[in-house]
Amino acid sequence: MGAELTILVYAALLQVLQFAVMSVFANRELGTKVTLAPRDGVSLSEQLSPRTGRLYRALNNHFEGLILFTIAVMAVHLSERSSPFTVACASTYLSARILYVPAYAFGWTPWRSIIWFAGFAATVAMLLAVLV
Amino acid sequence: MTEPTALILYGLLVLLTLLLQATGALTQLGMGYLLGSRDEQRSVEGIAGRLERALHNSIHAMVLFAPAVLLIIVTESSTNQTQLAATAFLISRVIYLPSYAFGIVGLRSLAWTVGFFCTALLYFLAL
Repeated sequence: MGAELTILVYAALLQVLQFAVMSVFANRELGTKVTLAPRDGVSLSEQLSPRTGRLYRALNNHFEGLILFTIAVMAVHLSERSSPFTVACASTYLSARILYVPAYAFGWTPWRSIIWFAGFAATVAMLLAVLV
Repeated sequence: MTEPTALILYGLLVLLTLLLQATGALTQLGMGYLLGSRDEQRSVEGIAGRLERALHNSIHAMVLFAPAVLLIIVTESSTNQTQLAATAFLISRVIYLPSYAFGIVGLRSLAWTVGFFCTALLYFLAL
């Protein structure tokens, strides 16, 4: 498997882990009675503690990151444009997304935004590498 | 069922969810609001609200499921296990939709959990 594809697998598994961690905290805070219910008229995310709320937002943010990163990885792989540069970009993306979680959870301002931007820029660079 | 078939059918399921959610929103909010710029936030209740949350969840599930299937296709690493996981994912998501729409406590979470673990399994098998 190409290096970018392997990194995509790790990025997806990071999302699985992010979900698991957020879910454990959310269920401890709200109780399974609330989380199992159909959630009519209540916003679960608004009832979370500030830190778990951050984990929830970090999870949602990574869903959006994954959409673009999947496209970038597939475009690089299918166009056979893989290079040390695109591998470095994919590694940067994964590192940024790993760091993003503690950066959000512990409120590292403005580092969270800088880390987010590094992941975003790495994805854009991969997409551009396919075109040039 | 092969993984691409499961992905195609899941894509159609998400589209169906979208149509049901839009119908619910249309009934409660009216065409005028939906065609407008929605500057003022309005929310739907009951089954329409549950369909809206089911839709958002289904899109998130797609974000994780689609890359797994694409990875299996491009690496040509399909096995009986990956096909079974993809099929189980699809079945769990088919159950998830009505169990959320009708508020069946327990079944919705069970269906969601099965789908989530099947997706995670696809990534572990891809490695």
